[in-house]
Amino acid sequence: MKAKFSPYLSGIADGIKELIAELKKSYDYVSVLSTDSVGFTVSVSQRSKSIQGKTMMTERGNVVRVYKDGLYSEYAFNLFDPSKAKETAEKIKKILDSQLEVIKATSTKVYDTKKLSDEKQELFVEMECRTVPEETDLSALVEKFQKISDEGVSFSDEVLECMVGGRSTHICKMFLTENKDLRQSYVASDGYVYMMGARGDKQDTAHVGVSDREGPDIFDVFTETVKTAFKDLQDNLGSSHIEPGEYEVITTPIVTGLIAHEAFGHGVEMDMFVKNRALGAEYIDKRVGSDLVTMHEGATVVKDASSYAFDDEGTLAGDVIEIQNGILKTGICDALAALRLGCEPTGNGKRENFEHKAYTRMTNTMFDAGTSTKEEMIASVKKGYLLDGFFSGMEDPKHWGIQCIIARGYEIIDGKLTGKVVSPVVMTGYVPDLLGSISMTSKDYESFGTGMCGKGHKEWVKTVDGGPYLKAVARLG
Amino acid sequence: MTEKIIELLKSSGVDGWEVVDKVTEAWEFYFIKHELDQNRVRDVEHISIEVFRKLEDGKFLGSASEEIAPTATEAEAKKLIEDLYERAAFVKNPYYELGKKSEVLKNQDFDPKKMAQDFIEALAEVPETSTEYINSYEIFAEKIKKRFVNSEGVDMTVTYPSSTVEVVVNAKNEEHEIELYNMYNSGTCDKEALKKEIALSLKYGKDRLHTVPTPAIKKAPLVLSTKDTVMVGQWAAMKMHVAMVFRKMSNWEIGKPICDDVKGDTFTMKSVKELPNSSKNIGMDSEGNVVRDMDIIKDNVPQNYWGDRQFGYYMGIKDIFMPNNFELEGGKSSEEELRQGTFLEVVEFSDFSVDNFTGDIAGEIRLGYWHDGDKVAVVSGGSVSGSLPELIKDIRFSKEQKQYDSYVLPAVIRIADVTIAGVE
Repeated sequence: MKAKFSPYLSGIADGIKELIAELKKSYDYVSVLSTDSVGFTVSVSQRSKSIQGKTMMTERGNVVRVYKDGLYSEYAFNLFDPSKAKETAEKIKKILDSQLEVIKATSTKVYDTKKLSDEKQELFVEMECRTVPEETDLSALVEKFQKISDEGVSFSDEVLECMVGGRSTHICKMFLTENKDLRQSYVASDGYVYMMGARGDKQDTAHVGVSDREGPDIFDVFTETVKTAFKDLQDNLGSSHIEPGEYEVITTPIVTGLIAHEAFGHGVEMDMFVKNRALGAEYIDKRVGSDLVTMHEGATVVKDASSYAFDDEGTLAGDVIEIQNGILKTGICDALAALRLGCEPTGNGKRENFEHKAYTRMTNTMFDAGTSTKEEMIASVKKGYLLDGFFSGMEDPKHWGIQCIIARGYEIIDGKLTGKVVSPVVMTGYVPDLLGSISMTSKDYESFGTGMCGKGHKEWVKTVDGGPYLKAVARLG
Repeated sequence: MTEKIIELLKSSGVDGWEVVDKVTEAWEFYFIKHELDQNRVRDVEHISIEVFRKLEDGKFLGSASEEIAPTATEAEAKKLIEDLYERAAFVKNPYYELGKKSEVLKNQDFDPKKMAQDFIEALAEVPETSTEYINSYEIFAEKIKKRFVNSEGVDMTVTYPSSTVEVVVNAKNEEHEIELYNMYNSGTCDKEALKKEIALSLKYGKDRLHTVPTPAIKKAPLVLSTKDTVMVGQWAAMKMHVAMVFRKMSNWEIGKPICDDVKGDTFTMKSVKELPNSSKNIGMDSEGNVVRDMDIIKDNVPQNYWGDRQFGYYMGIKDIFMPNNFELEGGKSSEEELRQGTFLEVVEFSDFSVDNFTGDIAGEIRLGYWHDGDKVAVVSGGSVSGSLPELIKDIRFSKEQKQYDSYVLPAVIRIADVTIAGVE
């Protein structure tokens, strides 16, 4: 089925076009992004249940971007009457002029930027999906989640709680300028089984997720997911602390994705190049990894929860090869950073929602698959760990440091898993050293899109990452 | 629109309801060095509705919530209320009560224009040099008006300021350049406090230019003296969250010491209704419960749980609330005394994290000071890790306290026997 475009957005389109025409009388460039995304979050545990008609991506509102005298200004609002476009334009001009008074009063200099181009372009996309959140039987979904939760706690007395959650959003966005009319509609969902347990004084958790650019039917796999979560929890509860040091490691695809995201995902967001905040700018066409490292980034790279048709600045989605056989080729770029750097935008200008500024952000960040098998890779390790699952990661684009808090490591001695588990594992290091140490990559290729990504410590957007199993050398603590 | 929604809810026949109406006027300025990258205004209203439904003769209480657009029609609002009432039947939670207590809250006016201008002026006054300087910053100044209304007669409105400044500072020498990232939250702009914090960050930046790899220390006392102390305070606070206790994710019990054989200082923590210039001086929590001063832990002995009404009711606590501001009391030693002997003081992590459930701590060291006898090495790289439930017996707090927005904590926290994964 097709994810139908929002009737609400269709209904205000003429009013928004009139607003653009009014603002064009005062500004050299005007665009409006309008959004109407609906969805739900359902969560069920042994002790509580909830249904909320919202997700991290539900929203309804507009953001106007205007340009004059080298400066871009924005006004985000959600009270819009299409029959009063002229009055809205006057209100916007008045408040933005008031901001200019502050700029003048503080003798602030403007970072002079060129005007965005505005060629004629039309696009109307209703993406295919199996189900949509609006038509979901929430009663049946709560019941299904309850059964999964009940099964989770039935596995062992050590399981204190089993939380099952799912979010599904029907995303509709409309980007209009004087000459552009882009409209897209798609559905994205993600969910999880989160288990908490205790063994003696030791408490621990396990989290297994699922995501896709599909509807709530993706939660059907939870009957298997809950078994994986229980195994992971058992492994964590039986774990010990790792002896800090440098080890050979095999990363599962989910950890590979975390490395892709934190190592060279943030490191080549080119709005950071404008601010001289990323070391990557100095390494274009230079070696940053081994020959086995090829990394793609873009909304069209895979089909998952961050695979859209155009970004929040009206740039069509793309597929950028960031690293090719270990050589850094290019980064990803939003529209304004592209103007400042003199390059083309890559379709990575994203906002947390209409209220937030657009930054260069990741979509799908994926390492390419290789030729080895997981078994061959484990057999090649003398002493090290198979790293699986994660709690968090943090980037450091200026210095290429990386911090990944991995959920657990399975000890490998002389090519065999010993059964010993360590948890949690803090993996740190210098990105080119880590990527340069990659000596094997598997044939597997998986994407993961259950998390949200921040820029610094704010601006949360949906991102996806992944790839194959990797063999590398890393510092663990 | 809110009045119309309330009217519809009153006549709808639902068993209970809550409406939160939040109006935000935000002024934002984004800078690259000191040049304006972009200016923005947010002018938004968010109205959320939660509908409650008694099930099986009141043994259970179902609920469902959703935000409604402020531009919605009366017919759309009516339909949403009906949908929520239907959905509430699917969510069969044991019965609990909604809040009934209402108070008149502060409604002082705030001007986001003035707040933003103060921040711009403060950032311009930070003393910079050619080698230690501000790379970029983002200013967010908000005036928020929030109204909470429910079916039990609660109707409270509060107006409060909330500000965030994100600042990236750089330091460089002939060999390389480094950056440090900081985010400061407050009510309005406290120019002097902000300038002082950024000046300290510039000093750290200068020190970071001359770091050596963190040695293979294995185990050492860890000293925290920056915003990372908040993570320790939050962990202790979360152990007393009623939902954590009810779900058996916390084993801290009222009246029972949180650990035996204490070698360090004890935890004394309380909810504080207001703190100077906190962005959380709101007077009520997100469920419309009135907040107040309250002891949470006293000398390591839990006094009162805090949290949401649902789990509070299940635990037999009717007058429960979620504090907006917390205070962790200082200990017996001075900052200077806590900085004696061998220890690693880390002032910049990539991201210092504390898992609220397991108490596991972890963080990559971006800038630390390794004190080994009389020698001090400025270090970078490697990580710290450990488990607070295992380390809690020997945590020491300075007498001096410091405020980070909605938290007041010991200025220095010293945790013994933390695992340090060095680079060498």
